[in-house]
Amino acid sequence: MIAFGTSITKPEVFRRSAEPGIRRAAEPGSQVLAGPATGSIFHSYNAILDRAAQLEDLEALVLVHQDTELVDADLCAKVRDALADPQVGIVGCVGAIGVRSIAWWEASVTLASFINRYEEHGGGDLHSFSWAWDDAPPYAHTGEVETLDGFLLVLSPWAVREIRFDEGLGDFHGYDLDFCLQVREAGRKVVTADLRAIHHRPLQMVPDPERWVTAHVAVAEKWDGRMPGIGTGPGSWRERALRAEAERDLALAIVHWKALEETARTAAAQHAIAETRGSLSWRLTAPLRRLSRTAA
Amino acid sequence: MIAFGSCIVDPAAYIRYARPGIQAAAEPGATVFAFEAVGTICRSNNLLLDAAAARDDLEALVLVDEHVELADPGLCAALREAFADPEVAVVGAMGASGVRSIAWWEGRISRGPVRQRHHDHGGGEVTAHGWAPIEAPPATVDTVDGRLMALSPWAVRTLRFDEELSLGFGHDLDFCLRVREAGRRVVTAPIAAVLHHTLELVPDRDLWVEGHIRFAEKWDGRMPGDAPTEDWKARARRAEAERDAARTLGYSSTSTVDARLAPLERELDALTTSPSWRITRPLRALNRRLKQR
Repeated sequence: MIAFGTSITKPEVFRRSAEPGIRRAAEPGSQVLAGPATGSIFHSYNAILDRAAQLEDLEALVLVHQDTELVDADLCAKVRDALADPQVGIVGCVGAIGVRSIAWWEASVTLASFINRYEEHGGGDLHSFSWAWDDAPPYAHTGEVETLDGFLLVLSPWAVREIRFDEGLGDFHGYDLDFCLQVREAGRKVVTADLRAIHHRPLQMVPDPERWVTAHVAVAEKWDGRMPGIGTGPGSWRERALRAEAERDLALAIVHWKALEETARTAAAQHAIAETRGSLSWRLTAPLRRLSRTAA
Repeated sequence: MIAFGSCIVDPAAYIRYARPGIQAAAEPGATVFAFEAVGTICRSNNLLLDAAAARDDLEALVLVDEHVELADPGLCAALREAFADPEVAVVGAMGASGVRSIAWWEGRISRGPVRQRHHDHGGGEVTAHGWAPIEAPPATVDTVDGRLMALSPWAVRTLRFDEELSLGFGHDLDFCLRVREAGRRVVTAPIAAVLHHTLELVPDRDLWVEGHIRFAEKWDGRMPGDAPTEDWKARARRAEAERDAARTLGYSSTSTVDARLAPLERELDALTTSPSWRITRPLRALNRRLKQR
């Protein structure tokens, strides 16, 4: 039996996003372990794992964020296929290799099969690079990775019973990377599979930078020297500090540039619209458009 | 006499932007030093300082980047007012306090009526540093933007730009730090100007990072308010985290810009692909031809 788990802090988001996806993907007899969050995501997910571990016929536990909508009606078949290799401990639809920190997207991403559906500015979809295989870049492939994005995680029964989210790391950020590192440290595989989901989330990726920075440091401190790559970098600590401060300031300068660019592009688009609407040909054809609207 | 100085890399830019502004702002009898750039910005600026230092009647030297257009007929009066305080050694149109690095714009910005005219995205004008809250001048600051800075006779005769900063980045902050080390003040004044510059703050990214590092190595532990670093590991960990957060913020910003613009672009697309717009295309073509005659 493949079970589903969600930790809920916003019931209306769950009802709109995760619930329909779970209904779409679940099989008759699937258990749905969805309930209010109990503290951090680490703690809430561990509570779900404790419950799932009691299920004797458990084949897998699908953990989805409350804002994640599963798209595949045949998700269970795909999960069984991915977990057919007993060495696989965890599966996801977004993964990366060469990871050095919780900012795993700064590494080499091998698969990203999701849509970021946002509501701001009238709403819209951002398709990640392997959402549609026909348009996917040559580096897109499923298989073994170093970490997964936590919005959709599929855990093997072994992982459900043997591994726990590290509640000492904080309240949200880095829980996915840390869990994957624990799976790999235990000798099991972390893999991506051809699963797809819609992530209903705002465009802002790090709304709470200070907590994110704290988690970044905590995960680096925990794993540096325990897992190759994590928390490492070239040069002495002094050299690393000075370079990172320079690169941080450069990244902030790019953010400022984007703000100016938005102002400039908005002005250009508004000017073009005003010019079009104010043109003689637009005004001459106004009766035609009125006629067309009346006919419609 | 208030003199003006520019080191010129791109003569066309100087002729188009800097020169007309200088001509409008300069008083009768003012000397304008317009030299071909030589080596780095520091070496070029020092050449201007050497020339100005020889003038006995010097009241101030205004260093003007070739892409900066002065737009202030009252510039000389504003500078005399600022330099009336003998402790003031540098006056700028834009500056900041709480500065930690060559990215001085991360500090609290003080700026007068400075606009930025850009040619990207179809061209246009934005308020300089429009992303940040701005304090009005005058203000005592840590540094001013070196693209438009005025130096007192003391500064012209006593200090030089550090030519060891061979990449040039941070030459203005370095100069201002040494002014302050010498016990003098750096201030902003309400000077109107137009920056003719691309919107991108840091076009030469890799070089800028190297310049940032060299500057930090020179001033580490010596910046006002800085304590020597005892735990480089902790500083590195935090900086790497902040760097990744800033990069991620950049990705979000890109998505947000695109999302905000999408409705406008859809509206424009709907207008220009509408049947009424398409059937009147010959009319517009005719109109363009008539205008060209």
